[in-house]
Amino acid sequence: MDLGVFIQILVWGIYAGCIYILLAIGLNLIFGVMKVVNFAHGELLMLGAYATFWIYTFSGLNPYLVIPLAMIILAIVGVFIERLCFRPIMGTGKLNEIFLSLGLIYLFQNLAAVFWTTDSRSIHSPYSDVSITLGSINLPVDYIIIIVITAICLIALQLFMKKATLGRAMRATSQNREAATLMGINVERMDMLSFALGAAFAATAGSLCLITGQMVNPYVGSIPAIEAFAVVIIGGLGSIPGAIIAGLTLGIAENIVPLFMQYSVGLLGLEMSFSAWKDTIAFIILIIVLVIRPTGIFGEKEE
Amino acid sequence: MKLNRLNIKTGIDIVTLILAFLLPLILEVNQYLLTVLILMLVFTMYSSAWNLLATSGQGSLGHAAFFGIGGYVSAIISNSFGLPVIVTIVIGGFFAAVIGVLIGLTCVRLKAWFLAMVTFGFAIIVQTVTVELSGLTGGWDGIPAKKLVPVTITNHVMYEYYIILLIAVVVIVIIYLIMKSKMGLALEAIRENELEAKVMGINVTVYKLKAFAASAFFTGIAGALEIHHFGYVTPEVYGIDISFWPIIYSVSGGLYTIGGPILGTVVITAIWEVLRSFGMTYGRFILIGLILILIVIFLPKGLISIPEKIRSIFLKN
Repeated sequence: MDLGVFIQILVWGIYAGCIYILLAIGLNLIFGVMKVVNFAHGELLMLGAYATFWIYTFSGLNPYLVIPLAMIILAIVGVFIERLCFRPIMGTGKLNEIFLSLGLIYLFQNLAAVFWTTDSRSIHSPYSDVSITLGSINLPVDYIIIIVITAICLIALQLFMKKATLGRAMRATSQNREAATLMGINVERMDMLSFALGAAFAATAGSLCLITGQMVNPYVGSIPAIEAFAVVIIGGLGSIPGAIIAGLTLGIAENIVPLFMQYSVGLLGLEMSFSAWKDTIAFIILIIVLVIRPTGIFGEKEE
Repeated sequence: MKLNRLNIKTGIDIVTLILAFLLPLILEVNQYLLTVLILMLVFTMYSSAWNLLATSGQGSLGHAAFFGIGGYVSAIISNSFGLPVIVTIVIGGFFAAVIGVLIGLTCVRLKAWFLAMVTFGFAIIVQTVTVELSGLTGGWDGIPAKKLVPVTITNHVMYEYYIILLIAVVVIVIIYLIMKSKMGLALEAIRENELEAKVMGINVTVYKLKAFAASAFFTGIAGALEIHHFGYVTPEVYGIDISFWPIIYSVSGGLYTIGGPILGTVVITAIWEVLRSFGMTYGRFILIGLILILIVIFLPKGLISIPEKIRSIFLKN
């Protein structure tokens, strides 16, 4: 295998991993504070991508500058979802949030289809034809910007959680809800904050997908969300470092494993393509991990 | 009082059954409506089977895997060995049950969300594998399947309806017996509190696996019936929608009950078909999504609990 191709695929993998990490961290924040899993997280990604698309189309701003606006819009959407849907069912039975999320998935996908049709939409990044060449390796600038933006988001989150009073209150809530209430923390406000942050991260992921030239339609959120769940589970529910490691691993594995399989089958003199297996690999890894460790690699032991 | 209520209930059951038998005669030749009714019956079986697994606290998001496996196995066996369709349907169910136990072995140790994701992913894996085994399964194009009743017979759709009705009644009675038996109690105990169930001497692993096997078996039979009704099977039987329908039906009808999934299937299918006749496409899904959300929040025991709610309101006054 050519080293140049290998590095190119590695960068592809890191790019895919960044999207998964942004989604997975949102899921982990929400789970940490509220102990519910929002299965409709992919739909927030879709809404975020649409928000960026429409703001960009009407204002003509640099799409990267639109991302913060999309984040704010989705944060508001997130607060509404939390208040109207998830708060009433908190503590009412284990499976209810799964059923509720299914309803939300149907609702958002089809509302988007009604308002914005199912046409695939895309925008052109202003840097789409700029790339950095290192020897035989060709790296699009957009990918590097995305990796940088993800890193900035992660560092900002880390600082917020460690230094800011609000962030520390959030951590306290996720560690022990009752004790946090006794310390005078408004835990319901923390629920809203976690949902707002989670939705904002999903909006970032969606906008980044859109800017790098992916088509956006009402159903675009499903696949990345599914992969993000795999990341969350492999990394351990609620663990942010786990999500980062698992996200990068999964992004890279997804892109390298099919190539590797094709290459090894090629050694036997067979021509086979494994690109259809790309989405399946996440789940094969997921099941293997859960067979070995039912709480994920970084998950805490329960009970 | 109690006897009275029981009588009313059995009365409703019997009237429903008689109606189900007479319906095709009343509607006579309307083939479209008959097909809708057949699918309704298939999905009552499917939802009841999903609900059986949910009773043990295991909410599967990938039951389409078993639905499709039952269908594919039955189609392939009946095509290549020439066995009668009724036999291959049962074989399809058994095959689905075996796969169910295998995936169940991973799932028994998992928490609710993890289980949901593993089953969801499992359906996607099964779909990929099915497409890749194109020599056997015809890839994305799928394969033809024998009709349940040969098309050469006049009124074959009506005969199909009666056969499927009979099977549905048998399946639902069996599920009823399971839910009322010691096993049903054990499953409920596991759902309420797994640790306490273990302390009470319930073998949690064995019961969860049994639930998986039974649920996958009936789901496989439902899947096989559907594809033998349509006459072909494609990898679309593994679709996400197919996994979600039984959940929508069971939740809106009433979880962990016998009548719930049946009522849910009938009501939601009826709403669905009425909306279709208005020419709504996305609107239907929006409405179904809204119904699901509202029921989860305001009516967590489902539509079947409405009489009870009304009664409690009257008793209060």
